[in-house]
Amino acid sequence: MDNLVSLIHVESFNGEGIKKAVYEAIDLIDLSLSSVGSVVIKPNLRWYWDYSTGETTDPRVVSAIIDYVRERWNDGADIKIVESDASAMRTKHAFKILGYEKLAHEKSVELFNLSKDEIYEKEISVDGYKFMLPLPSIIFSSDLFINVPKLKVGPYASGQCLHMTCALKNLFGCIAKPRKVEYHPHLREVIVGVNKLVKPHLTVVDGVFALGKNPVKLGLIMAGGDNLSVEFIAAEVMGYNPDGIDLIRLASKEGVGNIKDVKVVGESLDNARKHFPKRSRLGFKLSWGLQLSLLLLYAKLSGDIIPPVLESS
Amino acid sequence: MIRVGIIGLGKMGRLRLKICRLLNDVKVVAVADSSKRALQFAENTGIKQLYNDYNDLLKLEDVNAVIISLPNFMHVESITAATETGKHVFVEKPLARTSTECEHIGNLVRRSGVKLMVGHNYRFFDCVEKVRKIYDEGVIGEAELSTLELVYDGFTPWLEPRPMPEWYFDPDKIGMWLLDAGYHLVDLFQWFFGNSEPLYAYLGHRYHLPYEDHAVIVLRSNEDLTKGILNVGWFCKMIFPQFNFRMILHGTAGFTSTDQFTPRNIYLHIVKESTKNIFRRFFGAKIEVLSYTYYYMSYLKELKNFFNSIKNDEEPAVTVNDAIKTVRTIEDIYKVAYDEYPHKR
Repeated sequence: MDNLVSLIHVESFNGEGIKKAVYEAIDLIDLSLSSVGSVVIKPNLRWYWDYSTGETTDPRVVSAIIDYVRERWNDGADIKIVESDASAMRTKHAFKILGYEKLAHEKSVELFNLSKDEIYEKEISVDGYKFMLPLPSIIFSSDLFINVPKLKVGPYASGQCLHMTCALKNLFGCIAKPRKVEYHPHLREVIVGVNKLVKPHLTVVDGVFALGKNPVKLGLIMAGGDNLSVEFIAAEVMGYNPDGIDLIRLASKEGVGNIKDVKVVGESLDNARKHFPKRSRLGFKLSWGLQLSLLLLYAKLSGDIIPPVLESS
Repeated sequence: MIRVGIIGLGKMGRLRLKICRLLNDVKVVAVADSSKRALQFAENTGIKQLYNDYNDLLKLEDVNAVIISLPNFMHVESITAATETGKHVFVEKPLARTSTECEHIGNLVRRSGVKLMVGHNYRFFDCVEKVRKIYDEGVIGEAELSTLELVYDGFTPWLEPRPMPEWYFDPDKIGMWLLDAGYHLVDLFQWFFGNSEPLYAYLGHRYHLPYEDHAVIVLRSNEDLTKGILNVGWFCKMIFPQFNFRMILHGTAGFTSTDQFTPRNIYLHIVKESTKNIFRRFFGAKIEVLSYTYYYMSYLKELKNFFNSIKNDEEPAVTVNDAIKTVRTIEDIYKVAYDEYPHKR
């Protein structure tokens, strides 16, 4: 079977336009599924920022996926939208604030906090680094696991700077432990580790509002059956050379997916690529890490204080 | 020497503690918080008297004043306990969740004779003070129209890797939403132009919260009939040191705005001010605390005002009556909004 990744621009930025693009994108990748009884959908909810900031998955994209699953695969599928608590975010609040509670009510689907599930401690080794990952059982027991990441740059975390956040990084949010900052010192290895253990059957990227230097109305939906291939093409969309991205290289080396013979269907890559705003990795370091370090140094040198909210980060 | 107890060591309480440590004639001798981690923070700064229950702190006879940095719903009870033990009180805004609660506190304060100041720190912004001076001197004539804006990120605490406290999401505990986000704008308008009434109010929902997250309000001063448009919101992603506040006055002889007195580039401002402070310290001069963020300095200035009011036995710059007026006007705003849009209730 071909390794297909589809690219579709929305015709309009309303619910109907997004739904049409999601349907086309999934149709184009010829996903063959045997039985779809239970479905888990994992969006990217980061803090409590609106989808239009480019930070969180648009609930309208998830809504379209739910409709697609019911129309094309199983009208009676048991569908759950899942997310885990994070260092600065509680899933129950994110679901409510960002409109997922309303969506769940309208579509009669369940919201599920991965941090409250039965946890499996899984040992994994990536590039010689061995570690344990607490992963929720639901991730492994569903018939269909759909990864719905956002298309964005970054993040900068504990001295490590990723080029991008998309298909691979969104699965980092499957780790049940809320204080995920503890994994930041080995961020790449941990992301690849999760991706070795958790294999989405389908990845649908929300690039409707993407995030570069600033949010941008990119209007793009991507879909693919291989998570790493989607990441690979997403990197190209963002104007990066995927071969130069450490995370993709490491994931490929560790056998996370197959980036050979990836075929783009739908719209041309050139057409998608030209819209994306670029942001330098240095820019991230300056805006987050260096800024904090300089403030701490300044406080030491001057005897001044810095706001406790910053000091504790 | 004023001996101070701090009740509540969340992000505001810890900031107050840090500021107090830089003030002359003020010593924080005790703190109270239900969190072990918060008490550990205080202990690390050298404070010996640590309490889980603020009532134990209030029993300390050598504590003259307390700073109450507790959630909104705990203000009435804690202020009551503090005034009963004769402590002067500085409390974070809002004074309480309703005007009835505020008036109850007002009666307590009048009976006990203690000083009580509410944290209306926006009055102490340099840019606001400069606009106020221009207005008071008559440079812009009489102000007919004004615009006050404050739009920021209500839920994501800048770079803090901790979730917002649970009470923030509980409408009963936070009280009316405008008590948090719109409070300062209502207070500033009335501080400039006197008691006012809402002519129009729209309370909106960008997010799916149990309360509003943005509002457009039109106020009219009862005294000089100045009109004010207040735009306030919690929906905008904002990361330190960004800050999105402004006040514009349109007078009969000209106009003025806080934007004229705030740094055009906050990053350059931080570099400039922090360099100055490093040199000040190097040459033994006094540093300008928190001057690198033009808005955080206000917390220092208001605490200085509170402690000076105790030392000099004066009224603090923000009185209980100011706080009562603000809360009453906010209640009126809700009445207008719900009368006009009952489906929003």
